[in-house]
Parts: sequence; C-alpha cells; structure tokens
Amino acid sequence: MSKKLYEIVAKIMKVSFSKINDNSGPKTIPSWTSFNGYVLLHELVSHYNVQFTIDEAMDVEKISDIKRHLKNHGVNLDD
Amino acid sequence: MIKEYPLSEYLNKFIELDNEHKNHTNIAFLSSFTINGLSETVQVKCNEKKIYCDTYAGGYNQFSQEILNLKSKLYDFSPNLTFLILDLRSVLGDLFFFPYSYTEKEKKELINSKLNELFEIITFFVKNSNSKLVLTNFNSPSYSSYGIASMKSNFNLKDMVLYMNKKLQEFTINKNSIFIFDFDAFVSKFGEKNVFNYQNYFFGDIKIDLDYIPYFANELIPYIIAQLGISKKCIVLDLDNTLWGGIVGEDGFDGIKLGPQLPGNTYLEFQKNLKALKNRGIILAINSKNNFNDAIQVINEHPNMILRKEDFSSIMINWNNKVSNMYEIAQELNIGLDSIVFFDDDPVNRELMRTSLPDILTVELPKDSSEYVNTLHELPEFSMFEITDEDSKRSEMYAQQQTRKEFEISTPNLEDLLRNLSLELIIKKSNNFTNPRISQLILKTNQFNLTTKRYTAEEILNFTNDENIIIGCAQVKDKFGDHGITGVFIIKKLNSNEWFLDTFLLSCRIIGREIEKGILNYIINEAKKNGIKIIKSQYVRTEKNTPIQDFLPNCGFKQINNFWEYDLNNAFNMPDFIKIEIE
Repeated sequence: MSKKLYEIVAKIMKVSFSKINDNSGPKTIPSWTSFNGYVLLHELVSHYNVQFTIDEAMDVEKISDIKRHLKNHGVNLDD
Repeated sequence: MIKEYPLSEYLNKFIELDNEHKNHTNIAFLSSFTINGLSETVQVKCNEKKIYCDTYAGGYNQFSQEILNLKSKLYDFSPNLTFLILDLRSVLGDLFFFPYSYTEKEKKELINSKLNELFEIITFFVKNSNSKLVLTNFNSPSYSSYGIASMKSNFNLKDMVLYMNKKLQEFTINKNSIFIFDFDAFVSKFGEKNVFNYQNYFFGDIKIDLDYIPYFANELIPYIIAQLGISKKCIVLDLDNTLWGGIVGEDGFDGIKLGPQLPGNTYLEFQKNLKALKNRGIILAINSKNNFNDAIQVINEHPNMILRKEDFSSIMINWNNKVSNMYEIAQELNIGLDSIVFFDDDPVNRELMRTSLPDILTVELPKDSSEYVNTLHELPEFSMFEITDEDSKRSEMYAQQQTRKEFEISTPNLEDLLRNLSLELIIKKSNNFTNPRISQLILKTNQFNLTTKRYTAEEILNFTNDENIIIGCAQVKDKFGDHGITGVFIIKKLNSNEWFLDTFLLSCRIIGREIEKGILNYIINEAKKNGIKIIKSQYVRTEKNTPIQDFLPNCGFKQINNFWEYDLNNAFNMPDFIKIEIE
C-alpha cells in the first residue's frame, strides 16, 4: 500500500483515490499535464522531505517510478 | 510574515470557487516565462476578499504577439487590469550572461534599444485597450562571473539593473494607466535563492518557485483592490493591549506599556505606522470599552503616545456595545461599514464584530504585539494607485468637520448655518491635475451619486479629449477649510438642443450644503450659452444612493418616461449663499 502517496496524487490531479494505482500516470490520467506533474513532485519534496534530481523528475511516467525514486531516497512507503 | 499554503491548495480551492461577488474584474497575465498556477491562485485570493475575478493567462512568452495582434484572445477578453511579468534573462539575452564583453556605451545602447522596443509594445497596448497595465521591474542577480571584483567594475550587472529600473520608472511616472510592480523588492523580501531555483528553471522555465507563487499572488492583490476602487478608508482601533500594553483602568496611567523599552516599543512602533497611514489619508478612529477620562488622559498626556486626540476623526470611549459604537462611528464619519478596518486584541470582540458587521474587515490581530506592525503591513486593503492632495488632507478635513458639527449645534436654522459657512464652489475642467481625483470619486462615491457609473481612468481621459462630452469637477471651501475636489459631473451632448447629465456626484462629506445646486446652476448656464433647450438625466437606484433620489425633482426636473428633463426656459433657483468661481 502507498495510501498517502496515492492521496497526494489524487489531490494534485483532482481524480478519485479509487482510480489511482501504480500504473497511473500521464497516459491514464488526463489532468496529469507536465505542469501538474511538476506540482506533484513539488508536493512530494515537501511531504517526504527529499530532493529529486532533474533526471529523476524527467524519468517519471507512472506512479511506480515515483515509488522507486522515493525508495532510493530512503522513504518507507509501507503506510 | 504570514505563512502561505502550498500552490496545490490554491489549485484545489480554485475548482470550488463560488464567484458570486458584486465586485467584478477581468485580469490578464502576460509573461516571458512560465507562470502556471498564478491566475488560479489570484482568483482564489480575490474570492477570499469578496472579489469575483475572471482571468486570462497569455501563452508562454507570447506577450508581444498577443499585444500587437488586435484580434488576439487578450483583446477579446477585454481586461480591466493586465500584469506584464518579465524577467531579466529574457529581456537582456546574451547581455545577461556576458555583461563584461561589452563597453559601458555598448551596454547602455543595447539596454535602451531593448527597453524602447518594450515601451513601444506597452504604448500600443495602452492605446488599444481600456486596461491598466502593471509591469514588473527587474531583480538584481546576486551572482556575477566577476565575483568579488564585480563591485570594482564599471556599469556592472547590478548597475545595469538599476539603470533599467530607473528607465522603467521614468517611462511610467506620468502615465495614468501604467504602473510598476517592484519585483526587485519582492525578491529581496523572500530571497533570491527561494524565489528562483535552477531545477524549476531548467524543468519548465519556471522563474518563480511554485512555493512562492501564492506569495507573489498576494503582492498583486493591492493592484486589484486599487483598480476596483474598493480600498478601505478608515481604521478603527481598540486601546488597551492594542495601542498600548496593559489595561489603563487597572494598570493606571503610569502602569501601561508604551515607550522605548520592550514590550512598550512594539506599541510605539505600531502607533508610528498608524500615524504614517493617517498622514497619507487613512482616517483613524477609536472604539474602546473604557472609562473615558482614564483613556483620554493617556491620549492627551502620556509622554510616549504618538497618536493624539487630533489624529482621531471619531472617538468612542464608553461602555456601550462595540457594534453600536461602530455604527455611530460610520455615521459620524459618513462612510460605509465596508470602508472600515477594525483592530482589537480581544478575540471575543473580533468575533462579535465579524458576526454582527461582516462588511467591516476585522483583522486577526496576533497575540504577540511584536507582530502588530507586520500584520498592518500585510493588509493590501489600503492600496490606491495614487495618493491625491485630498487624500493626504483627509484627516485634517475630518477634524474641521468636527468643528463644523460643533458650530452646527450652536446654529439652529439650516439656511443661517449655510449662509454663515461662507461656501465657495470652484468649477474646474478635467485635466492631468484633476483627473486622478475625478477617477477616484467616480470609483468610490456611492451615496450622492445619480447613476453610479464606474468609469475607468482611461475612459475619463477619453471623455476629456472628446468634444461631445463635458467633464468637470468642483472644489468646495468654507470658512473652516478646504474640502478639495468633492464633486464630479459628466455631460454628453446629444444634439444641438439636448444635453444628457450622465454622471453627477458629490463626496459624502459635503452633502447637505446645497453644493449640488451650485454645480447644476453652472451646468444650466453653460447649456444656455450653447443654445440648449433641454437637459435630460436619469436616476439609477442602487442600494446606497437614496440621498440623491429627490435631487432631480427638487431642482425642477420633470419625469418623462424613464428620464428626467429640465426645460431651460425655466428659471433655476440658485442658493445665494454659495459663491461660484469658474477656472
């Protein structure tokens, strides 16, 4: 489970929590524009107190990519 | 400083906006870089201030094209206010990165050429739009490739920015429709490393960090308030723990905290800031539950008081309910409740005021008195595009008003009173000197306003240059002092026989002196000189303009369908106690 992460994505992309899964991304969520994608990364930086590199930011195509980067920064998503 | 919510909060609130407010404006944002999220944030912040704003965000770095194309969406949107947000990199190009590759002369030539291009675009926009334009100036970057040696070099990057900002100021200073937003001060306030970061910049040409978009939006709100003409006129203050520390009734004259030592210095500084606002035309008043003699002794005699009795235009120190006191203050000053800002340290009083009189802005005063000054500084509600002579004399005028009231009490007959006031009316044409005040009166006058038409400064300028329109104003003096320009009229020439009185208004502070008849007498005489037979007009009822509802019939106008008409064959009964001068 990654409830908090899903909640943040749902809030930023303005979609229902139930529609979020690890494969969600710009291809499945129409409101996931490049700007909203950046707002999302900004929100994650604040919430998890991490700093993404520009390569990590560019690499995000779906939520599983975010989870991978967060784990690399030592974030435990088992909430 | 008020801690802001993240941008995402505003983007979410934006979806739920109700936008059901009477104050409405259209705001356009044009920029040389990515400002996504700004227009949504501004809309949310406007909504919190009961302003309904529509926004238009121009395409990325498309400001020149949109301005120069009269068929662009920008002109379709018809903004009332346009923000043009530019950044130094975009404007300077290579000169930003390699300033030391050019001589001082070359640098100045390049800068002048770029700025002149910008000024031409801005001039084109102002000529072709009714919008006011707010242009950002430039912030001085802290980094220089010359490092610590940069301050030894002639016309370095900082000098260039200073030079550019000075040029912007010179360009805008005498233009009624163009204003500068001090972006340099914004970056200084929040810090260059916070506002700008390279990741944002490389990622999407975002030159204001997303966390600082809400702070930036805050700084734009004063322009919106000024454009709408809804700035507040009066600050009503509690006394104990608001103007001084402690409770005078308990701590005594010598026991209150007010002076150069902590915590008295926090109140001293607060009073100095209030006095500065009073000096620029914000009226001060007192609403305090206290023994009158205790409190007034502090105001009159305490050696460290900055604000004295003469600084307050209305003083309510008693044990009455603060809400009823507030009504009396508004009545005494002849201002609407929506023109008042209330400061009180007591949360119960604040809640009472918010619940009973929601039109009043009741400030959430922090518990810590060292934050009072900051709280005052953060209020955008006193913003005006220009401070006129009348504004800076306002408190003095209200003090004169108090003397007049005392005089009225001793003079029982109204006509005798008016005769003894030595009223003088000076009719003035609209021009560069009078237009700012005319514009201000047109935007703000509610009560004695025949049609409440809110013309913009640009429209007023167009009227001034239109030979089919007469626009003028009236300055009023009496034996107690000068009220300044307090009346405005606009006449539209319909044909060779008829004029239409489109706008007729008086500031509330001179209602009841028959000044309106003096102004109308002037209009009638001018009409006769021009061979006019009929002056038409209309009374457009609003929630607030009942004081003028009988003006037309009282002056001899006859109602014909939806209009009122004055036949110039009829003699006009002009009060003989008003002396009229025409400039």
